[in-house]
Amino acid sequence: MRYALLVQGAPYSSQASHSALRFASALLVRGHRLECVFFYHEGVYNAARLAAPPQDEPHLYDAWCALNAEHGTQLQVCIAAALRRGMLDEREASRHGKHGHSVEPPFELTGLGQLIDLGQSVDRLVTFAP
Amino acid sequence: MILHILNRPPSSSLVYREALAAMSDTDRLLLVEDGVLGALTSQVRHFQQVEGRLFALREDLHARGLEGQCDASVQVVDVDGFVTLTEEANKTVSWF
Repeated sequence: MRYALLVQGAPYSSQASHSALRFASALLVRGHRLECVFFYHEGVYNAARLAAPPQDEPHLYDAWCALNAEHGTQLQVCIAAALRRGMLDEREASRHGKHGHSVEPPFELTGLGQLIDLGQSVDRLVTFAP
Repeated sequence: MILHILNRPPSSSLVYREALAAMSDTDRLLLVEDGVLGALTSQVRHFQQVEGRLFALREDLHARGLEGQCDASVQVVDVDGFVTLTEEANKTVSWF
């Protein structure tokens, strides 16, 4: 089956990201495909490229990137939720006259419409909220 | 059949009532994260209406030192079983 996950919890604040990653691993092991993880609300902080957690703690950012590298999972971030929280890719940073950027590939800023499309195109959409 | 996923215990949130009110006679309820507290014998009475269709996530019970303290009426599943539950359902709804 084709799955997508919706993550609404900030990393290291709630269990949502950890639960979603654990579920992602399990569904891949069972032979399903994980098309996309969509980050919304405070979940957009999962895309912070400068995240540097202590080495003896799970590195959520790297874990998301690994999903993309190993399984082709798209990592989409709601642009409206991201911009107001200071999560900007290079293009948006330049458009808003900001120095530096906080989001880079494989994460991509995208519209909420993408989430609607996802909900209609995948077999299962599972939400992990704070 | 819809799989409802609840991550709040009855002791700290009333959202479980909305979940129960939204459930059909065949829907299932999976307790995850802090929601697994609802699977304890002292709290499981809140879920009487879905007896036989109530599940709790083993990893979240274990993380809270509650494995083995689940009420006998609750079916404990690991994350693999969580995936199976989503396979068997037409869709999932998360309550939080």
